[in-house]
Amino acid sequence: MTAITQTPPRRRPSKKRSRLIAGIGRQFVLILVSIIVLIPMLYMVLASFKSVADFFGNPYGLPSIWNWDNYSRAWADAHVSITLPNTIIVTGAAVIGSTVLAALIAFGLSRKDKPFAIGLYTLFVAGLLVPVHMIILPLFFMLKALGLFGTLFALILPYIALGLPLGVLILTPLAATIPRDLISAAEVDGATQWQIFWRVVLPLLKPGIISVAILNGTWMWNEFFIPLIVAFTPQSQTMPVGIVSFIGTYSTEWGLVFASVVIATAPIVFAYLLITRQFQSGLTAGAVKG
Amino acid sequence: MATLSPSASTLTRPARRSRSGSKGARKYAHLWFVLPGLLFFLAFMIYPALFALYVSTTGWTGLGNEFPFVGLDNFAKALTAPTFYRAASNNLIMFAVILIVQHTIGLFLAVQLNAKPRFMEFYRTVLFLPVIFSLVATGFIWTLMLSPHIGFINPVLKDLGLGFLAKNWLSDITWALPTVIFVQAWQGLGWAVIIYLSGLQNIPEEMTQAAEIDGASAWQTFWRITFPMLSPATTALTILTFIGTFRAFDVVYVLTGPIGSPAGRTDILGTLIYRTAFGAAGQSSADVRMSYAIAMSLIVFGGMAIISGVMIKLLRRREIEG
Repeated sequence: MTAITQTPPRRRPSKKRSRLIAGIGRQFVLILVSIIVLIPMLYMVLASFKSVADFFGNPYGLPSIWNWDNYSRAWADAHVSITLPNTIIVTGAAVIGSTVLAALIAFGLSRKDKPFAIGLYTLFVAGLLVPVHMIILPLFFMLKALGLFGTLFALILPYIALGLPLGVLILTPLAATIPRDLISAAEVDGATQWQIFWRVVLPLLKPGIISVAILNGTWMWNEFFIPLIVAFTPQSQTMPVGIVSFIGTYSTEWGLVFASVVIATAPIVFAYLLITRQFQSGLTAGAVKG
Repeated sequence: MATLSPSASTLTRPARRSRSGSKGARKYAHLWFVLPGLLFFLAFMIYPALFALYVSTTGWTGLGNEFPFVGLDNFAKALTAPTFYRAASNNLIMFAVILIVQHTIGLFLAVQLNAKPRFMEFYRTVLFLPVIFSLVATGFIWTLMLSPHIGFINPVLKDLGLGFLAKNWLSDITWALPTVIFVQAWQGLGWAVIIYLSGLQNIPEEMTQAAEIDGASAWQTFWRITFPMLSPATTALTILTFIGTFRAFDVVYVLTGPIGSPAGRTDILGTLIYRTAFGAAGQSSADVRMSYAIAMSLIVFGGMAIISGVMIKLLRRREIEG
């Protein structure tokens, strides 16, 4: 490497050529990696159309008959008709709940001269370190005592609480950058703090709110561990857990399993393709700040 | 904390606007906005965490209402149990391998994308795609791909005449753990690419150009200018990988099951704690003890908090020196 680049007077044509080679090499590497990423996904979609015989006779080719039956059976037998609406309700309610609460907290704590502001902010953010493993067991008994087992609240309420640390972490610094003059002006006009929150602060927090909603929405949609512990019937399960509990009963019906997996994955993939940039910056915003 | 500082300059202004409410009420008015969220947080986070602390000092089995006080016995038992160390070392191997993959392949791909090749948007979108997949979906996809006879990998190898490379990937004593780690790396690589790419895009072009004009080779420019400038990304990614691999559970649960088969070769802390608390097929019920599981999870939590704190401190120091 150094031997090539340190020969001082580099002539133009060779530089151009080496750049061309670098460009081709680059495309080659990127195509190769894209294939490694995409093949399993393509395989998932193909597998969802295969019959049991096809898996043995023709493991990696196209399905010999496109077996749409897998989807209708996933919908009915694998309870996707119940767990899909459940997933939408749980994710929707928990995203809205935790985002609104986090925005309220962010506004409340945005001035660090106020009493308890720094202490409370630290408390919320420290929640990021708490592993679900540690609190899931007490949570299990708490939800049982509250009579929430078998309802979607057993998922929604803990999700809201678990979504708060990231929301507070991202939104509080953002709320702190809102010019004080803007808020003072609204106060002079006679707005209450509540009105100021909804009319002035919330619209200005919008970019952060989108990040928080995507970040929390993605894990809530995909969450497996919490529902595994607290949701035992299809009526109270979300899709990832619904599929895993189903697998126990129909272990060799791969076509059926993959039809369910495709249904569980498609909505979030569509959302991602629609707003790729927001997903990428939203998900990494949380990471880099944490 | 430090991130709250932007408001500091505006704080010193005298408060003239005490139009409504008494002085004391105004002083604490902001707490009304915090209250609803705080109640959720106390109920579903702080209370369970404190309850976990209490239970860890008892011999509670998870059933019934007997909480005999046993002091630190559960902790002592965990810290002397070979299974605990076996699981922890598997987590450690997972962390080390994925860390290396992220910081080499991930960084390399980010550099390729930063050169703005044709179809860059497409590659970027594709490389990040697995991140939004659930680990359950990922686990199922790879369970089938790697299945000995009906899968994808082995039949393709056979048809290419490379049948001798085919293995029982997930049930082979030697290959199970590397295979599980590969699947997790496949899922998480997008993080590294996007985090490093945004780090690269934040480096002013003048800096690398100046170095080139001064006669630095591309290699030198990368190691002396670009890589040090990327250290915030390196820090974030290292911490993220650490937390992610030590909290891992789903991927092993789906690929090799809650007992981390074969013969515990893929057993990690997540699965060990899970089956100690709730039991699993092929495990004697004498090994199921809720309070012991909670003590283990507290050890993991404490260890993770300390180690990530130390790592942040060390890596941040490097950021400043770099």
